[in-house]
Amino acid sequence: MTYVIALVLGVFFGFALNKAGLTKYHKIVNQFRLTDFAVLKFMMTALVVTALGVYPLRALGIITFPAIPETYIVGNLVGGLIFGVGMALAGFCPGTAMAGAGEGKWDYLVPGLLGFLTGAVIFGLTYTSFMPQLKAIANYGSVVLPDLWHINPYLAVFVFALMALVLFYLIDRMGMHRKEKKD
Amino acid sequence: MNWLVKQIRKEEWSPYVAGILLGIVGILTVVLAHALLGASGGFENLAAYIGKAINPSNTYFNYIMPAGITYPVVLLVGIFFGGMLGALSSGTFKFRTMDSEQWKAAYGKQTWKRWLLLFVGGIIVEFAAGIAGGCTSGLAISGGMLLAPAAFLFIGGMFASGIVTALIVYGKKY
Repeated sequence: MTYVIALVLGVFFGFALNKAGLTKYHKIVNQFRLTDFAVLKFMMTALVVTALGVYPLRALGIITFPAIPETYIVGNLVGGLIFGVGMALAGFCPGTAMAGAGEGKWDYLVPGLLGFLTGAVIFGLTYTSFMPQLKAIANYGSVVLPDLWHINPYLAVFVFALMALVLFYLIDRMGMHRKEKKD
Repeated sequence: MNWLVKQIRKEEWSPYVAGILLGIVGILTVVLAHALLGASGGFENLAAYIGKAINPSNTYFNYIMPAGITYPVVLLVGIFFGGMLGALSSGTFKFRTMDSEQWKAAYGKQTWKRWLLLFVGGIIVEFAAGIAGGCTSGLAISGGMLLAPAAFLFIGGMFASGIVTALIVYGKKY
């Protein structure tokens, strides 16, 4: 049953990635060139919508948060820094590559997936040589900001949504976009 | 109804609309599966088969991310078919080995170059996702929607180095 749910959720996730256009090289790299903000808009909208849903559900005692990603400041940041290099070079990430492969892209399906598997093998085999040490630095455990800072969760979600709206306003109305250069 | 069909057939939606869809999927994931979305974790479960063949007593692939057709692996299969469904709905499904004009302008039109770069890029992002504790899906989106600080540290790092990398690749054309 869990498998059926996972499959259906995955389908909707892949569908959303496809419709947002993120399965294309130019959509990803142009976010980093600051000429197309689809990635950031898509991500921030999703974060706000989900936060608006899950925080009240948690407060009502209907759900608990599953598998909150662990915060270990240096590792999260360094991982992000390395990740951005690969993402800007190739124009994909594991999720968008999978959805793109479904669109018939052999380049995502073959070298892309082989790359992910190779990267995962290298990480797993070298894990014990550096990860326990890295994870020990500034480790706050599986925590969310409202709990960490002891702020009212509703206030936190409200402020977060407001920040997203300000960001969207800056992008769409205040010219945060860079113009694509003409050849 | 016609309006809805027309919208679904569009190749690209406003990122806000697609984001709302993903947000709803995010809520449902937590409620129905008591889990998060993710992509890089599934690759680790699959890589564990190879990793254990190379080093059978390896800690990571035995205890932390063991081999198996796990929830994240099934999620990956779903993402694949979701992308397919999206492409079929807009009539853009097509077998191909190369990307857009912009890729060719940046790196040249040789297919082997693209394949090599995707392979190398794949290694980099998956290794980095391991270090960070997740990728754009499993950490940035899944952690961010719960307001986990880990996600925002990752997103900050990713944007900083992504912008620098694009600057180097594009040079004067940035």
